[in-house]
Amino acid sequence: MMHSNALNTNQIMRQVIYALGLGVGAAYVFFGWGVVVQITLAMVTAVVVESAFLSLRKRPVKASISDGSAVLSAVLLAISIPSIAPWWVVVLGVAFAIIFGKQLYGGLGNNPFNPAMLGYAFLLVSYPLQMTTWAGEFLNLSQAIDVIFNLSSIDALSGATQLDAVKTQLALGKIISELDVNSISQAWINVGFLLGGLYLIARRIITWHIPVAFIAGMVVVSSMLYFVDEQIYLPMQNHLMLGATMLAAFFIATDPVSASTTPKGRLIYGFLIGVLVVVIRVFGGYPDGVAFAVLLMNMTVPLIDYYTQPKVFGK
Amino acid sequence: MLNRSFNGGVVIDNPHPVDTVEIIPAPLPDKVVLPLQQRIGDEAIPCVEVGDHVLTGQMVAKTEDHFSVPIHASISGTVVTIDDQFVPHKSGLKSKCITIESDGKDQWIKHTGCGTDFLHCDKTTMIEYIQASGIVGMGGAGFPAHAKLEGIQDCHTLIINGTECEPGIMCDYALMQHHPREVIRGVEILLHICGAQRAIIAVEDDKQEAINSLLMYCHNDRISIVKIPTKYTSGAEKLLVKALLDIEIPSGGFAIDIGVVCQNVATTKAIFDAVIDNKPLVSRIVTVTGSGIESPNNYEVRLGASFEHIVSMASPNTNQHDVRMGGMMMGVDVEDTTAPICKITNCIFVNDAVEKPKTQECIRCGQCNQACPVDLLPQQLYWYAKSENTDKAMDYNLADCIECRCCDYVCPSHIPLAEYFSFAKALHRKTTEEQYRTDVARERFEFREYRLERNKTERAKMMAAKKEELKKKMANDKAQKDKIAAAMARVKKTKKAKNDAQ
Repeated sequence: MMHSNALNTNQIMRQVIYALGLGVGAAYVFFGWGVVVQITLAMVTAVVVESAFLSLRKRPVKASISDGSAVLSAVLLAISIPSIAPWWVVVLGVAFAIIFGKQLYGGLGNNPFNPAMLGYAFLLVSYPLQMTTWAGEFLNLSQAIDVIFNLSSIDALSGATQLDAVKTQLALGKIISELDVNSISQAWINVGFLLGGLYLIARRIITWHIPVAFIAGMVVVSSMLYFVDEQIYLPMQNHLMLGATMLAAFFIATDPVSASTTPKGRLIYGFLIGVLVVVIRVFGGYPDGVAFAVLLMNMTVPLIDYYTQPKVFGK
Repeated sequence: MLNRSFNGGVVIDNPHPVDTVEIIPAPLPDKVVLPLQQRIGDEAIPCVEVGDHVLTGQMVAKTEDHFSVPIHASISGTVVTIDDQFVPHKSGLKSKCITIESDGKDQWIKHTGCGTDFLHCDKTTMIEYIQASGIVGMGGAGFPAHAKLEGIQDCHTLIINGTECEPGIMCDYALMQHHPREVIRGVEILLHICGAQRAIIAVEDDKQEAINSLLMYCHNDRISIVKIPTKYTSGAEKLLVKALLDIEIPSGGFAIDIGVVCQNVATTKAIFDAVIDNKPLVSRIVTVTGSGIESPNNYEVRLGASFEHIVSMASPNTNQHDVRMGGMMMGVDVEDTTAPICKITNCIFVNDAVEKPKTQECIRCGQCNQACPVDLLPQQLYWYAKSENTDKAMDYNLADCIECRCCDYVCPSHIPLAEYFSFAKALHRKTTEEQYRTDVARERFEFREYRLERNKTERAKMMAAKKEELKKKMANDKAQKDKIAAAMARVKKTKKAKNDAQ
């Protein structure tokens, strides 16, 4: 039984953008104005590219732009990339996400892949250096603009993410107990997205299935690995509080268009993304695995949906 | 109070609540329009002619089809036309109707039924009375009441549907509150006909007054009154049975398959009138409500009176209106308010005309599958219905959709999902029919090919056999000939020997 939450599609998209606020705020506190500049660049690019493609496809531009889906994808991508990445990284990524991730499939509702993650994967594969260099300290607006528009060198201000650093150190033969595996900034950002996600569940904009299954998948695999050898595998709580975990659990894996829609299917889908994220983090070549895990599972959605149909009344 | 229910459904607040539920008798209309085509079955055949004088309750059209009921004059007066008129149907098409102009006297025909001591009547007579009185399901489905009651073998439970089905409608509420005696007696009659052990009258928990009235008149311990939670689609037969008895009617089956008979309360009251007095169904209670109505209420009105006839009584405002017959969810829009009130018109919604929200793309949010009371996946069905892939839609159990529009109601993109589904169902019927026809044609063709081929090979075989036979015969013949020749030679020889001897 349900009460209608009486939100239309535009309001849903807007609510999701608002819910990102806490996590974005936390990122701002630690990384500074770069976060804001990236989000602004991404939003402008999304609106321009989406408008251009809608008019090429002879579709109503204003109605589709105002549904907010392009802006949402842009914001998700912008907060996934380093706040000091050069301006063309985010512009290229968003353009790729909108064109190849969404419009070429027929626009909103027809894309099999999560556009933001498609854009992210494209950037990570093409520009690995720019995509893994994170701000080491708070940057004010002019510093951020200098860095993003390539007006000054970034070396002094940058560093790798915790997941990346741990991976490198482990490869050098170090063991977990010798490393600093905690990151205050990332923990706070993850908490921010977690709270935003809980808000979405409370507003009935997303259901609990995908986030819970996602986190369960991560917990199961990371605990198993930790149990096998606690010297080379990160404990479960670090997996949950590092990288894009909560953003992925509540905002990315739950993208309704590219996710499974049946209750049982959502559990399977979320769980397997969680499993894949840890597997890619631990055994893969990239420090974080959200984008690839989500894209891989996007492909399985038709299959999952078909085999997890609920029992129909009277059958 | 019942806690158990079915999955899904939506809670919709009554958009136009009222303090007291009344039944206001509407004045006799000046004329009535009686459609000959009913919800199902063949069109009825008029048995009066233009110019005839008819009495209230007199049969004006009869039917030979088992799934229809006769049609009665709902006022006394003169038949003025028998022609095509607008009827309240979603097609918006005209249909053949008998129009009667009132003489203002409302003179009734004589009618006598089983009387109050109905238990001495046999079931067949009662069912005949019910059919002859023109009773169909008054909850909106319009299924002939007698057809549900005939040939019942094992019925353990009779369910009387007093749930009102959709928010805003209150005609059944009013009926239960103001005619509890007739309803309870009607239930007893139905118990007698069905042979059921018990009857359950299901009433939604926001209709306390109705429950109180019924309890006051219910002294039969085989009849219980059960309160059920107010949520939309609990009035649907399958879901009501599930909520009350926790039994699912099998997909494609009927209530009677699991030993249950369902009737609506208004139908039950009409059955009471039919059996006790053999009084034909000539009027019904109609709710008039909506944002364009100042004081929503119920009107007891003669069948065939125009929508306007009672809408004007409910003080509508002067705005532009959208008029709808039935509920806000499953009703049909009526373009022309001169259309007649018929047996299934439980409610008339008069809403201020508003622009409908624009449809957007489906974002697969899944709100629809949470709302679906029969546990379908409307967003998948929509995907396949839109691309006219009806086979795949049938795979996703399209046939089980009850078109309740819960999915439409919760859809954030305002997609008219149920419309797509009814379209896809129609398309599927058509393609299966076509498929069947092409299959038959292909089979015929293939059989012809096979037959020709078979004839050919059989012929060849036969020829070969004949040839063989002939050969054998010829061979035989040769042997015979040789024998004859040998005999002849012997004869010749002996003759020669004889001659030589002579």
